[in-house]
Amino acid sequence: MSTAALHAEHDSHHNDHKESFISKYVFSMDHKMISRQFLITGIIMGIIGMGMSLLFRLQLAWPDEQFGILETLLGKWGKDGKIDPNFYMGLVTIHGTIMVFYVLTAGLSGTFSNLLIPLQVGARDMASPFMNMLSYWFFFMSSTVLLISIFVETGPASAGWTVYPPLSALEKAMPGSGLGMTLWLVAIALFIVSSLLGGINYISTVLNMRTKGMSMNRMPLTVWAFFFTAILGVLSFPVLLGAALFLIFDRSFGTSFYLSDIYLEGVGALENIGGSPVLYQHLFWFLGHPEVYIILMPALGITSEVISTNARKPIFGYTAMIISLMGISILSFIVWGHHMFITGMNPFLGSVFMILTLIIAVPSAVKAFNYLATLWRGNLRFTPAMLFSIGLVSFFISGGLTGIYLGNAAMDIQLHDSYFVVAHFHLVMGSAAIFGMFAGIYHWFPKMFGRMMNNTLGYFHFWFTFISAYLVFFPMHFMGLAGVPRRYYQFTLLKEFDVWMDVNKLITVAAIMGGVAQLFFLWNFFYSIFKGKKSTQNPWESNTLEWSTPIEHLHGNWPGEIPTVYRGPHEYSRPDRELDYFPQHLPDETAPVTAPQEGEQTAPTAVAPEETVESSVFFAAIKRVFGLS
Amino acid sequence: MNKKYPKDPAFAVAPSKFNMWLFMLASSMLFAAVVSAFIVHHPDAEKKDAWTAFDLPIYFLYSMFIVVASSITIYYAFKMAKKDEISANKWLNGITLLLGILFCFSQYMGWKQLVSLGLTFVNSRPEDISASYVYVITALHVVHVLGGIVLLSICWIQSLRLNVHKKNLTLMSITHTYWHFVGLLWILLYLFLYFAK
Amino acid sequence: MADISKFARRKTLFWFRKMKLNLFGVKSNSLFKKTLAIFGLMLTPIFLLAADDVVAAPTEFNPMAWDWSSILTLVLAILIILVIARAFDIGSLTEKITGKTIVSWNNVNAWAGIIFLVLGLIGVWYEMKVHGKYLKLGDSASAHGETLDSMFYWTFGFTFFVFVVTEILLFYFMFKYKYDKNRKAAYFFHNNKLEIIWTIVPAIVLTFLVLRGFSTWTKITTDIDKNSEEIEVFAYQFGWKARYAGDDKQLGTANFNFISGSNPLGVAEDSAVSSLVQELNGEIKKLEVVKASIEDSSKLWKAQYDRYVSTGMSNSYPEEFKQMKTKYMDLISGAYERQLEKDIKRKNTAIKRISAYQKDHETFNGTAKDDKVTTEIVLVKNKPYIFKFRARDVIHSAYMPEFRAQMNCVPGMPTSFAFTPIKTTEEARAAKNNPEFDYYLYCNKICGAAHYNMKIKVTVVGSEAEYKTWLATQAPFVAPPAAPAAPEAPKTDSTAVKQGSVVKN
Repeated sequence: MSTAALHAEHDSHHNDHKESFISKYVFSMDHKMISRQFLITGIIMGIIGMGMSLLFRLQLAWPDEQFGILETLLGKWGKDGKIDPNFYMGLVTIHGTIMVFYVLTAGLSGTFSNLLIPLQVGARDMASPFMNMLSYWFFFMSSTVLLISIFVETGPASAGWTVYPPLSALEKAMPGSGLGMTLWLVAIALFIVSSLLGGINYISTVLNMRTKGMSMNRMPLTVWAFFFTAILGVLSFPVLLGAALFLIFDRSFGTSFYLSDIYLEGVGALENIGGSPVLYQHLFWFLGHPEVYIILMPALGITSEVISTNARKPIFGYTAMIISLMGISILSFIVWGHHMFITGMNPFLGSVFMILTLIIAVPSAVKAFNYLATLWRGNLRFTPAMLFSIGLVSFFISGGLTGIYLGNAAMDIQLHDSYFVVAHFHLVMGSAAIFGMFAGIYHWFPKMFGRMMNNTLGYFHFWFTFISAYLVFFPMHFMGLAGVPRRYYQFTLLKEFDVWMDVNKLITVAAIMGGVAQLFFLWNFFYSIFKGKKSTQNPWESNTLEWSTPIEHLHGNWPGEIPTVYRGPHEYSRPDRELDYFPQHLPDETAPVTAPQEGEQTAPTAVAPEETVESSVFFAAIKRVFGLS
Repeated sequence: MNKKYPKDPAFAVAPSKFNMWLFMLASSMLFAAVVSAFIVHHPDAEKKDAWTAFDLPIYFLYSMFIVVASSITIYYAFKMAKKDEISANKWLNGITLLLGILFCFSQYMGWKQLVSLGLTFVNSRPEDISASYVYVITALHVVHVLGGIVLLSICWIQSLRLNVHKKNLTLMSITHTYWHFVGLLWILLYLFLYFAK
Repeated sequence: MADISKFARRKTLFWFRKMKLNLFGVKSNSLFKKTLAIFGLMLTPIFLLAADDVVAAPTEFNPMAWDWSSILTLVLAILIILVIARAFDIGSLTEKITGKTIVSWNNVNAWAGIIFLVLGLIGVWYEMKVHGKYLKLGDSASAHGETLDSMFYWTFGFTFFVFVVTEILLFYFMFKYKYDKNRKAAYFFHNNKLEIIWTIVPAIVLTFLVLRGFSTWTKITTDIDKNSEEIEVFAYQFGWKARYAGDDKQLGTANFNFISGSNPLGVAEDSAVSSLVQELNGEIKKLEVVKASIEDSSKLWKAQYDRYVSTGMSNSYPEEFKQMKTKYMDLISGAYERQLEKDIKRKNTAIKRISAYQKDHETFNGTAKDDKVTTEIVLVKNKPYIFKFRARDVIHSAYMPEFRAQMNCVPGMPTSFAFTPIKTTEEARAAKNNPEFDYYLYCNKICGAAHYNMKIKVTVVGSEAEYKTWLATQAPFVAPPAAPAAPEAPKTDSTAVKQGSVVKN
């Protein structure tokens, strides 16, 4: 169908305003509705993922106790109130899968890319609303299949979220590698389709549909982050599809891409020969590492925006922020080998991956310092979103620093697959990204639902979550350094690890506290959707374009013309302005100009309305590549 | 959308066309993944016997000729559409569609030839993994071609309905781009498989 | 089921017709209907799957058996939160009415940040003091581990400094620059000098760390003593075995096709492999007999199935009936036959491969005869070793934290790791003040249900003589001719008898 026809249809579809319930709320093609759908599905998946983590934490803290509730909840997997070891593996696997893909990829990037890209670049909708809707429904189907896989008789996929073959390829190797694994692969294939449809749309919207005056260097950092995230997704998810295809062939057709030299107890020597299990790991981590940044970068983008708005201060080093995002994106494609230092890879190759990995620390450090510099001499409003952003910076620092240990091939010999790794990635991409997501929810809730969330509950939610996250993950560093391996069902059979029993209990108690703290959020969220205080037009006094749209949602976002953009997104506390913010779409003439105040840094006169913070030659070159100057 | 908001700026590139470019980028990555798996799996020179080298079926070469021919026809089809030569466009679209189907058939014959050589998708000799790769790569490509055939048939039906002309080129140009992509992909894959063995 | 599929087909046809009607038109709402159709089609198999009996049956509804105390606790927790939420709602309402601030959240949050920082730093210090002593760093039991530990200290020093400074700054800024409506934030967004500093300084420090890491890594992985003794470590679900070279100082070749009950490592040794071939031939014959009688047995199963259905036993014994039904279905659908054929084919392939190897004298060179397969690893202090890792079924990882050693064991891809132990078990016991201490090798790659209990003891002895005495107690691979692989069956019988007698007692 031609685009013109598509648009014409689109129009006739929305002009009469006689949408049925289904076309408005279910198969909606409006990006704001789709973002809400992503968010709520993501939250539901998040509850399930978190619940699973509590279950296996319970097992780790009290391995010898019996909990009657487990039998009620899990049926045959919780016989006598104890989790079955096979199901424990399943819980670990599905927890990882849900959190990585369903909550932090789709729930975070899906929600906020959908909500913010059109609103912040000034577009009526996504480039292809239809594809956008498909993206959500593929995600929904994928979630459904994954949830169904939990109830399969042989149990869900249980080879860890990375599903390394041969464990995941051989039905006889463990019960979870049967139907559960097949459904896992189906779910992931659907998920890949969903994220490709979404990603293609995001890139196309950002590059193609910006409003007048919205040059690339005036885009908010959120949009930049979503843009790079989408590029990473489009380039790396197809590779995962390739890996999954080979795995499906090995499982269902009997080929030997990944399988070789296997003798299974009770079966005998298998026919498969000539394959390489390490090949899967290469393909998987070629996605897997960019995936880490697919998770983290939207959170960093959201944080940049929230910190700048609530510190009433321009983000420090806008250009440096973009360049470091770009550097991280490019580097993320060439460092996957650091997940495989001890698979017996060529030592020289290991050195190369180590060097490339540690280079990533530099752009990351720049980002962390820039956040600190943005807070310095700001005027910080502690909205819950701001607190969560500050929490993110804290996690980003403490989790990021341990990456220096793990990226170092020599130390990785000792730390690989120990609790140190668990602590590292739960802090830097788990907690940090979840905090970014919370910051985004608290900040843009008024935009999404037209109502405000309760701040006080938000504060409680933040402090409990923040403290419990540190209590859960900080002690794990010590366990890891002492050589405690991850994914162990219990430690009671190994005398060596008895000393960690009390730490395990502490972690579980803290995790339960964290879980209970989320009830504050859930109550706040769902109550506020219906009963929250009505939002004002621009509740956070923010500069970006999304706050110029009507509170009541409108298909096409702006009732009249799309506003023109006159300056960058971070013009807070300009000395020549009375108000401490200056929305992007207000032309300069209407601004009430006042004299600069005493003691304040005088405004650089060079900040012309056309040209914002622009300092780097490198950035100018990049702009030329995009054909913008 | 422009009807309701007449003052909105027109897009530099039609969104669907841009999306097609991005889709082509994504599927190139898929082929890159599969091809690099092939390369990683390919043993070093001193272990030649760990890898069955075989000549590609002659049908794969025929497929290449078909692809080249269909690229020429769709190129002219697009040109005719731009010139508003509707009936020529109709014919050329139809021929391209036919060539596309012929391509799939030719690939199928190629697989039959491989099977007759004893090289199946599932093998019990370790060195025959090369044949499995050839099957995966060609099959993935055929899946892409099938997508192209769907596009082509929509295009053809539209042209039969006189809907493809100077002012309605988006569909035609998307199909044209995609078909060239698929064709180029086959030429590259064939050359790769031919020289990599 | 038939009804469902008929219904689905009718619906599908309906939607296809709809789609055909609207596929190329531009009638309003057609996109929506098309989508609905596509998703209907896609969701159908999922629901069919869900409806089928692959999904576990729900447990019986029996509220008496529920753990009510836990449920009540949960409900109570939720109630408390709701009450708190309500209290704050009322609080904020009072604030609005009276116009007075009851709680200044601005100050509370700023102070909370400071308190968190102080308590957090105390917590970090406490952790280091209490759990720091369990860390294995500093008392490495291997030679290369010492360089690794020193690198850890350097990295720790650097990262800990950055950690403390940045976290202090973060919470200090949070406190210092809290909102004040009389103040305006600095319009400060760029400073080349600062940015260059905090790009260059981390880069320099990282260069230092990278160079150290590079040299250490290269040394560990490539600088291997040529006179090292080779030990094979073999991983399987769920355990480890070690193989020593024996008198000829040469590990015999091995292959997964040779693995059998009496030859768990698949060592290339003539008598064991020949008996395996015989065993396989016997199994194939048995399978062929089963295959030939498949018609008769399906009749038997059919009779059984009918009896279950007609007598209503299918309801009273649902579990048994389900198992029986699966078997019956497999038989009549031919799945069982296909499985048998597959098994026969697999065994034939194995025999073919084995006989190809048997002709090859490089594989069967007799070096395996004196190899010793052990269930414990014994090492001699200050003697260099190369560990050759093999895995039988899935990927495992040999993790020896005390020795700073880890390497994956991958089926089909032999790996190795070399190190020199420098501390005996006795010395470590003395140093740790723990007379029961032992070195272990753990599995560190998820490998199945009993992953958590997959370990092998590693003992380091002080002298070659001690090691020799231990090795002498281990049986060589080819045992004295009195015990070939044949008496396998009676042996299991005798154990069964023994177990039986135990039960009787």
